[in-house]
This record gives sequence, structure tokens and C-alpha cells, in this order.
Amino acid sequence: MSEYKPKVVCFSCKFGWGYLTDEATLSSEIENWIPIICTGKIDATHILNAFEEGADGVLILGCPEGDCHYQDGNYEVKKRVYLLRALLESMGIEKGRIKIELATDPEGKRIPKLVKEMSKELIKLGPSRKGVVAEKMTKEAIKARGGK
Amino acid sequence: MAKPKVAICWLGSCGGCDEAVVDINEVLLSVAGAVDIVIWPVALDFKYDSVRGMKDSEIVLSVINGHVRNSEQEEIARLLREKSQIVLAFGTCACFGGTPGLANLTTKEDIFNWVYRDAPTVVNPKGNYPQTRTRVDGKELTLPEFYDRVYALKDIIDVDYYLPGCPPPPYLVMYAVSAVLENKLPPKGSTLAPQRALCDSCKRNKSKPVSLAISEIKRIHEVEASPDTCFLAQGIICLGPATRDGCGEACMNINIPCRGCFGPVEGIADSGAKFVSALASIIDAQSEGDIAKIVDQFMDPAGYLYRFSLPISTLRKKQS
Repeated sequence: MSEYKPKVVCFSCKFGWGYLTDEATLSSEIENWIPIICTGKIDATHILNAFEEGADGVLILGCPEGDCHYQDGNYEVKKRVYLLRALLESMGIEKGRIKIELATDPEGKRIPKLVKEMSKELIKLGPSRKGVVAEKMTKEAIKARGGK
Repeated sequence: MAKPKVAICWLGSCGGCDEAVVDINEVLLSVAGAVDIVIWPVALDFKYDSVRGMKDSEIVLSVINGHVRNSEQEEIARLLREKSQIVLAFGTCACFGGTPGLANLTTKEDIFNWVYRDAPTVVNPKGNYPQTRTRVDGKELTLPEFYDRVYALKDIIDVDYYLPGCPPPPYLVMYAVSAVLENKLPPKGSTLAPQRALCDSCKRNKSKPVSLAISEIKRIHEVEASPDTCFLAQGIICLGPATRDGCGEACMNINIPCRGCFGPVEGIADSGAKFVSALASIIDAQSEGDIAKIVDQFMDPAGYLYRFSLPISTLRKKQS
């Protein structure tokens, strides 16, 4: 078996995730963890940059619905992620490479677990290709265009 | 004093950009008087060999339009780079790959199979495909090699300045030409167009409600769009918020939303990603179901958001 270990970049909101635990301790357990103040701050560009820098997947952990410190930051990022996943899919890239979870975990114990879970799913998808190779046209697609 | 030498050349191009040069009308005559045009394939009968015979950097300015997809286009781009002091990527295809860049969503193999085998109008019983070298009657015929993908000019050669637009509007062409002739060029790497987003100068901007919120995405051909109201306020996708200003609102003026031919605003690499953030923020929904209902009406996001810039998009740019 190959030794492929997917790179997951995890953004989490400091108001909902791991605020009771020492950030440095938790950080040592999670590679590429970026605690931020409000997930609503995450721009689509940040997520794409993560892929550009070699991430295989991006996990966003925001506060529960209705519980955003800034009113609606978590809703904003949820919409952004949904749209970005649609964009990924239309580019021929698996949309499962971006995930979002809105919940709370003051001690942050679930963060390493969720990252691991996502890693497992990413192993099935394989590495994200930099400068993605175009998808081949399927026989169905050729027929749909009226081809032979 | 010898007149400065200027080259105007096309690579993978429709000819619209050359037309844009002609569109500066009588100013072209004074430009032609002030410079020595050494090559302009669409208009003048000069040969590439005469350029090959020049000294390095002998040409002051090369205005290159079109994308690069084959070995001939690459060779011409490299030749002009070698012989020129300044290279201006002229038009959207040279700057970002342009609409032909959408071909990067499919493979070279699929394109050849479609064009020479699968398309309903093809009759090709011998299964002939273009070859870079073919022997006919003891002689060798050659064709340029068709590359795996479409490249923007900067992926192939060092580019000094950019002037986007499909095609660039005459006033910006004149501005670029006079900046070179009067030696008033901005720092290398600049785009010779305004730095702000199209919305900043759009006449419809005033009609935008304080809080923009859409509960439906409509396509322009499905509705009769109001000619004075912000397209986004009408639920029609307009790339104005993430697209550089300077086009002269040619599309807006005929009641068509911005499709993004001017590319990203200053300091932004990927206009599609920026637009995703902008569009998401005005979607009036909170539950996953409601978000899906609205976003799923957005047909072909990759094609719409990167209609002109797929080859330079973060997700599909040249492998480094």
C-alpha cells in the first residue's frame, strides 16, 4: 500500500472550537490548523490558496447555526462553501475536498478526530492535482452532443 | 533619427484585437507616421524572417494578441520577446487565455476525437488525424504541434504590460500607444487599465438596494431585464464586482451583464474565487436546502466565472 497521507487544512472559529484548551498544545496534534476569529472571514480565495499550496482538502469548523458571535459569519461561510463546491464540481474536481461543520467544541478534542476522518475520505479520492488535468469526455457526453 | 520599431502580431486569435487597433481610426495614421511597423500579419505583408534577421531588442514595442496553444504560436511569441524591448499582452486571450481557454476543461485527445472522428458532420473513413510530420510524394510536410492546453502569454514569455479586453476599447489602446511613444509607462507588470471594479463606474450602481439579497438566480435570456437596474439586484449574474473596470461598459449598454473579459481587479489573481465570495454574500438563504435551491440554478459555474480566464485560474493554471 502506498504511503499517501493527505494534507488537510483546517480552519476553525476561536469562538466555538478549542477555546478552553491551550492553542499551542492542540496545535501540536493537528497539522495545518488555522484557528481564526469567525469563519465568516474565510474568503473563497483563502480556500483556493490552500489548494494551490498543496492541500488535498479543506475543513472548516464554524459555530452552530444561530450562534455566531458576529450574527451571521457562519451562514456566510456556509453559502460560500456551497457555491465553491458547485464550482469545484463543474471544474471536474471532487467537491468532497471542501467540508464544513457548524457545531461547538470548547475543548477542541473533536478537531483532530474530524481532521482524521476527512483524511480517510481524501485517501479514497487521492491527491489533489495541481493545475488539474482536464477530464476525459465520456461516451455519454459524446452522444449528448449528437456525436458518434 | 530612426523611427521606433513596433510589431503587432497575433497568436491564437480571432482577429478582433487587430480590429481594435484599426478602431483607433485616424489616430492610427499619426501612429503609423511616428513608428516603423515591422510586422503586422493581419494588415501588412512582412515576413517572420525579416524579424528573425533583426538584432535583439531592436523592436521597441511588440503588441501581441491571442493565446498560445501550438508550437508555432510559441515560436513567434519567443521570437518577438527576443527582438523586443517591451512586450504588451494585448487583449483578453493574451492576458488570461480568453474564451479559447475554456478548452482546458477538456483534453487534447477529446478535442481531436471530436473534430476528426465523433462529431456528427465528420466523414473520415481512413481515420486520418493531423500529424506534425507527414511524407507525401517523397517530401515532408510539417504542422505545428497542438499542445495539451491553452496558455496565457505570460506562461510562455516574460510580459511587460497587459491590456485586457475582448477586444480592448480604442481609448485604452490610444492611452497605451501614447504611453509608449511618450515614455510615460507605469512600472513593469502593470495593467494599462483602471484598477477598480466595474461596479465602481457602472451607471446602474445607484439602483442597487442598500442590502442586496437575491432569492433566485435567473439567466439573461429567460427574463426581460430592466435596462437601468443593477443586474445582481434583478437576480441576474453579473461579474462586475470582481472584474476590472475600463471596458466602457459595452455589454451593460446593450443590457447584457458583465462576463468578465477585463479579468481580475488590481491585486487579485483569481476573479472567479472573488466572485464566489461576492455572490455568496448576497444569496438570501440560511438553511442548506434554501442555499441549494438558489445556487443550483447557477448553470455551469466554471464556464461562467472563468469564461475568459480559465488558463490563469488558481485551480487550473499552469503546473509549476
